Amino acid sequence: MRKLYSERLRRHQQEQFKYLRLVFNDNFMLAFIVLMGAVGFGYSNFLGSFTNQQWWGKPVFIIITFLSFQAGRIATLLEDPDSTFLLAKENDFYEYFKRALSYSIFLPILAIALISFLLSPFAFRMADINVTGIVIFAVSAVISKMSLLNVELFNLYNEENTTKLLFELILLASIVIATYSSSLIYLVVSIVLLVISVMITRPNITSKRLQWQKAISLENQRIFKLKRFYNLFTDVPGVSSKIKRRKWLDFLYSSMKLKQSNTYFYIFVRGFVRNNEYIGLFIRLTIIQGILLAFIDNFYISLIVEILFIYLLGFQLKPYFKEIMQNMLQRLYPISKDQKIRDFIKLSTIILSIQWLISAIAIFVQFSFTMNSIVISLAGLVVLIFVNYFYMPRQLKKI
Amino acid sequence: MTLEIKDLTGGYGHVNVLNKETFTVEDGQVVGMIGLNGAGKSTTIKHIIGLLKQKSGQILIDGISLEDNVEEYRKKIAYVPELPILYPELTLKEHIDLTIMAYDLDHDKTWENANKLLETFRLSNKLDWFPQNFSKGMKQKVMIVSAFMTDARLFIIDEPFTGLDPLSVNDLLNVIDEKKKIGCSVLMSTHVLATVQDHADKFVLINNGQVRADGTLDQLKEMFDMKDANLDDIYIKMSKEGK
Repeated sequence: MRKLYSERLRRHQQEQFKYLRLVFNDNFMLAFIVLMGAVGFGYSNFLGSFTNQQWWGKPVFIIITFLSFQAGRIATLLEDPDSTFLLAKENDFYEYFKRALSYSIFLPILAIALISFLLSPFAFRMADINVTGIVIFAVSAVISKMSLLNVELFNLYNEENTTKLLFELILLASIVIATYSSSLIYLVVSIVLLVISVMITRPNITSKRLQWQKAISLENQRIFKLKRFYNLFTDVPGVSSKIKRRKWLDFLYSSMKLKQSNTYFYIFVRGFVRNNEYIGLFIRLTIIQGILLAFIDNFYISLIVEILFIYLLGFQLKPYFKEIMQNMLQRLYPISKDQKIRDFIKLSTIILSIQWLISAIAIFVQFSFTMNSIVISLAGLVVLIFVNYFYMPRQLKKI
Repeated sequence: MTLEIKDLTGGYGHVNVLNKETFTVEDGQVVGMIGLNGAGKSTTIKHIIGLLKQKSGQILIDGISLEDNVEEYRKKIAYVPELPILYPELTLKEHIDLTIMAYDLDHDKTWENANKLLETFRLSNKLDWFPQNFSKGMKQKVMIVSAFMTDARLFIIDEPFTGLDPLSVNDLLNVIDEKKKIGCSVLMSTHVLATVQDHADKFVLINNGQVRADGTLDQLKEMFDMKDANLDDIYIKMSKEGK
């Protein structure tokens, strides 16, 4: 059983690396670094604007600490056929799940360490917590995550799901008390909970019956979420984006003329509105950009955010053209490729213009009517024109 | 409308599936294309509609080839694929609108045709459905409706009878008969020999990428020297020849 998990883990990680390589492509890294820079800059400005402890410092610290160990589920790596082929091995799963637990804690440890590190300057200044305190909180958070993972495993053997909620509540309460008194309280509580969780889980694994359906469907959901994330960056087989009718948006295109030259515009517009993937991309990028621009008061960073986000959206719309072109029908229609490209650019121009308009409003909110805001929004307009009239036509011809 | 295939050689990549295939579909003819799995039926169809490019030989519709005039050529044919292909983000009604736009058809007149067909295939109450809500057979019927509502003169149908319920098979045959009456031609590939035997004017027997024989049932009986045979018997005899 031990070997089985190792083998599956190897395969699982291979697949993750394959996708991660695609996620962390050049464009993404560029955006990521700039974004990190912008956020870091904002964070240090934000900290600098306060000189003494604030009343809301501790509550914010409590919430972030509590959230720091929420991400990540137990990676059981169970597969559909297991409920047929491994039934006979049911009582030997102890070794298997032990390995699953130790693998599942790995990423949360990294996340908690990173969050605690980033949180520490805030905690020193606003929440009156010292270095030892931060370290104790971080260690306790890791222990909390371990106990929660054990409870998740416990749940795979039981119908009810309330144990986890109970654990979460106790942990939250202990973080609150510890923040206002001594961090050691949180440490002690989390250790006690870990011991309890191990004690209730172990007898289950060796004697009780695993809820196969539940365990497998939970694992499938977990993997599906991962793949859906990767799907934002690349094509993942088996993950198709959701399509919703959105009848209330019909007015957007109801006035379109049903003539031959509009054939592809007809598909592109409807598909864009109904396919969660692309409308979601548009909404996410536009909102993030709007918020960043409304809050960053540095001219150069705002300029970069404006240029980068418009380019990013345009760049990421490209796969949508490819997706539609993969439908064999399009090769049969008596419509030329140039016409299809023209129709797609019509769509991308409209979408990027809406994005540009919203970003321009955010810029004018931050910089009011000054030379700075005019320069930034003009730069956005230049990128918009570049993407739609130079970049897109050339790229789409290659597809 | 006539479709002429002359010495067609082609296939996927370097593999030649078709080897000097020659046959014609005359005006107002329904032609059944018959052959074993892998004999080259679907490959022939893919060449005719232009999804594959031939290595040598000619495919002419009313004397023009795909190279002469792409749009003219494509307007003359309507195709029902073996596996339905639909746009997941468009409703049934929008698929029909789209086809009308793509082929530059008269909106009202085509919708009249479409409504009749939708009625026939029991789809008229599903106009606002997405493809994901349709069963495989229903999707196939959507493809049939969007093909047969057009002004195409040549209808190419790949395996039309698999996946359709008997009632729909009957409806499809009626629709084909109607098109035939106004002078359209139909080329269909199938394994359901009993059905095609009664409804096709002519048969093209394909074996190993070549036309082994073509003609009416009577002509085929003569060629294979089987007086009382049906299409099934002839087909099996042909299939065994190769061994």
